[in-house]
Amino acid sequence: MSSEAISHGTQAHAMHDDHHDHHHHETFITKYVFSQDHKMIAKQFLVTGIIWAIIGGLFSVIFRLQLGYPESTFPWLEDFLGHWAQGGKLKPEFYYALVTMHGTILVFFVLTAGLSGTFANFLIPLQIGARDMASPLLNMLSYWFFFIASIIMFASLFVQTGPASGGWTIYPPLSALGEASSGSKIGMDLWLVSMAMFIVSSLLGGLNYITTILNMRTKGMSMTRMPLTMWGLFFTAVLGVLSFPVLLSGAILLLFDRNLGTSFYLSDIVVAGKILPNEGGSAILFQHLFWFLGHPEVYIILLPAMSMASEILSVNSRKPIFGYMAMVGSIFAITILAFLVWAHHMFVTGLNPFLGSFFVLLTLLIAVPSAIKVFNWLTTLWRGNIRFTPGMMFAIGFVSLFISGGLTGIFLGNSSLDIHLHDTYFVVAHFHIVMGVASFFGMFAGVYHWFPKMFGRYLNNTLAYIHFWVTIIGAYLIFWPMHYEGFAGMPRRYYDYSNWESFKMFGGLNEFISFVAMIVFAVQLLFVFNFFYSIFKGRKVKSQNPWGSNTLEWTTPINPGHGNWPGEIPEVHRWPYDYSKDGKDFIPQDVPVGEDESKH
Amino acid sequence: MSEHVVSPEVTFAPAHTSGTKRIWKTFWLLSFITIIELVIGIVIYNIHKGEHPNHTLVLAFKGAVCILTLAKAYYIVAVFMHLGDEIRNMIITIVVPLALFIWFIIAFLWDGNSWRNLRNTDAGSRPTQEQAAPATKKSGEKE
Amino acid sequence: MATTTIQAETKWWNGGRSPFNASYGKVMMWYFLMSDAFTFGAFLISYGTIRFSVNNWADPNHVFNAFPFAGHANLPLAFVSLMTFILIFSSVTMVLAVHEGHHMNKKGVEKYMLLTIIGGIAFLGCQAWEWTHLIAGHHDVLVNGQIEHWGTTVTKNPWGSEVMHNGTMVATPGPIAFGGYFFGITGFHGFHVLSGVVINIVMYIKTKLGHFDQRGHYEMIEKAGLYWHFVDLVWVFVFLCFYLI
Repeated sequence: MSSEAISHGTQAHAMHDDHHDHHHHETFITKYVFSQDHKMIAKQFLVTGIIWAIIGGLFSVIFRLQLGYPESTFPWLEDFLGHWAQGGKLKPEFYYALVTMHGTILVFFVLTAGLSGTFANFLIPLQIGARDMASPLLNMLSYWFFFIASIIMFASLFVQTGPASGGWTIYPPLSALGEASSGSKIGMDLWLVSMAMFIVSSLLGGLNYITTILNMRTKGMSMTRMPLTMWGLFFTAVLGVLSFPVLLSGAILLLFDRNLGTSFYLSDIVVAGKILPNEGGSAILFQHLFWFLGHPEVYIILLPAMSMASEILSVNSRKPIFGYMAMVGSIFAITILAFLVWAHHMFVTGLNPFLGSFFVLLTLLIAVPSAIKVFNWLTTLWRGNIRFTPGMMFAIGFVSLFISGGLTGIFLGNSSLDIHLHDTYFVVAHFHIVMGVASFFGMFAGVYHWFPKMFGRYLNNTLAYIHFWVTIIGAYLIFWPMHYEGFAGMPRRYYDYSNWESFKMFGGLNEFISFVAMIVFAVQLLFVFNFFYSIFKGRKVKSQNPWGSNTLEWTTPINPGHGNWPGEIPEVHRWPYDYSKDGKDFIPQDVPVGEDESKH
Repeated sequence: MSEHVVSPEVTFAPAHTSGTKRIWKTFWLLSFITIIELVIGIVIYNIHKGEHPNHTLVLAFKGAVCILTLAKAYYIVAVFMHLGDEIRNMIITIVVPLALFIWFIIAFLWDGNSWRNLRNTDAGSRPTQEQAAPATKKSGEKE
Repeated sequence: MATTTIQAETKWWNGGRSPFNASYGKVMMWYFLMSDAFTFGAFLISYGTIRFSVNNWADPNHVFNAFPFAGHANLPLAFVSLMTFILIFSSVTMVLAVHEGHHMNKKGVEKYMLLTIIGGIAFLGCQAWEWTHLIAGHHDVLVNGQIEHWGTTVTKNPWGSEVMHNGTMVATPGPIAFGGYFFGITGFHGFHVLSGVVINIVMYIKTKLGHFDQRGHYEMIEKAGLYWHFVDLVWVFVFLCFYLI
């Protein structure tokens, strides 16, 4: 290495130190509102995400009421929803709106922005040893674009004709024609505009995450010394940056179709006996564009959860992660494959069967890296000195859910089986377990694990264990029976199943699912209480490194300021998984390698 | 620190060529390729004007234009955007993700073609008339 | 020390430096452009998909055969070639501005930035003329047995295949998606040109005020240049997809 290069490096850090001295005079506005500190932005994402999660969860409880008790009326619903629940009975239009909003909110606002927005912002600079993100300004703008998107989406809940209600996938022609349903009117425009803002936000965030991880790593932090969390968040950002623009294109074309009379997605449509002039487009084109984002989106949601679970499993098993390079390779393979398999959501659209068979092949290939990851998690746990902290419980829960949800994906990836299972409750069960609840478990694991770093206090453990056990048992009780319903052919998105002779038998089961869903939702509120209570009243963190973890974030002060390390940024000498090595419980990354130390 | 090192992460100032010869050379090259493209465009136009356009020939010419366009894109990115002057790591991370376009294009166009077949055959319920009747008659039928 | 030896000996991925020997701003710009390439890619691929899915499409040589002040002369490809050359030339002036920036030559940067801005505005002017011509120029179309006069808009396409009507060949309505894609994609590209011109004007003013001389480098010009070349790059593909094939 040239001496010139080294001198540049030192100057670099000196320059950064100068730079951060300017941040000491902080007002309430610059510290809590328009903050450029990545830790504060992460907390803003987290709190906004929690608010959205409550709203989205509440929606599911309301439509589960309809599904579980289709014959009953709930007069209090009318006080709450007004004309949408006249006489205490949910209107079908609003049922669809609730289902749509539940999906949109949880997929995009909670599990994309709330999950990777929080943890990418919080962990990237801390774990790679940087003062802040590459561009703190764009990082701040990323949150505020998300905020604008949130405001627009929230406003759409209150428009006269109701929010968008074409399902979270907003397929045309339902979404392209304003007269198609009440949920296709202004609510749909607001949905699209909100999504455009959201895409800008995720782009600004993603670009920052990528460049920060590439350019801002501290000395010695080679790519293969990065914690797996960083690898996961890195490829999450890559997925977002390359796939969200395609949804943007799709959304722009859809806006044109709605408002300018173009025919990108419309052809041969008859509404109320009137033939529309639109001709030449294809509604399936939208599905292609949507799923070109939509499938990577699944991994945008899953990869952060996977990688945080890897980290937490290793720390709390006091064992190095098994197969580090295999884990990195699997993340990479999943990223590539995520871009190649989108049409497996479209087997029943009349997709050319020969083309479909390629998508089957590529889809089933994802099982390989996924299985590698699962085996590596299990072997990391194997004979480990396991500490059952709440974070660890949720990480183990994540692995369990990922296995149960992932296996059903193999069913759905086969085009021949998918023809039977498509759009049934089997699909609902599959993606809720593997992408919904599993990612939530990753997120909870992350919150429980890094809460001490975020706020300098612990969450209450008793409440945490209640939260864990009720949530995991509840999640299985809710979604396991849905597989059975799906096999029997029960379609998703229906308002009332009691009208069908063949689905009447599921009345009791649906009631049971709804009942459990309410309990699980209530327990999430317990977590929210725990979260906000502990920020102010939680047990204080006394030790700098409460979990005995190797990664760099635990070398910062208990309440790190803007700039993270008061002095020099530590230099990294080893990978982050030296647990139970040479008689030592753990060896942090900034400890130089001893002369007689064994290799890992 | 040299005046050209713009940021602390940069290890050494990249060498900049002093002349503008390469830029002008690229300009003439791009213009030349564009003119060839235009000539091919005119040729395609004249083939279409003829009584019985040879579709294979048209397709071959269109393929040639696509390749020429890719060549233009290569020169713009490599010389004008200076990607050719960056170090290898950077070139790879920019170029490799673009490979995703291959399957993106193939799958989309493949399905588009399949929609046309479905339309022309009423989803396979009748034999295609595409070859039997020229396209002109077909839109006439819709009247 | 020779650059090549540094390149070979530096451990690029070991942290403490950029593995690309580039500032974060430049790396970010590249990845932004990559992301934008997927936006344009999605548009153009959608266009291709729809074109594959219909039996006949408007023939570009018929649609785009006009030239300003040339009356009704049939000049296929002429005007769009002019637009292409304008854009390529403005790309050259941009790269020359970047070149002058590397040599800290403020006057040179100013000169070439100004030329680039003029090129961009000229391109936008051409596009405005072309759009106006397409929308305002009416053509005979046979609709339900009646002759109507249609311009090319996002809802009307007078460029369908021709049929015999009362002894003359008359066009029938073509796939509506043609106008939508043409105006949508060239409009989105034009929007990029417009924002590029705005960025270039800001850069020009900043150069004039001596901001980059104070900073000691002209990297901002380089980043603006990347964006501008990207706009040119996209045009190359738009030119291919709409006018040539």
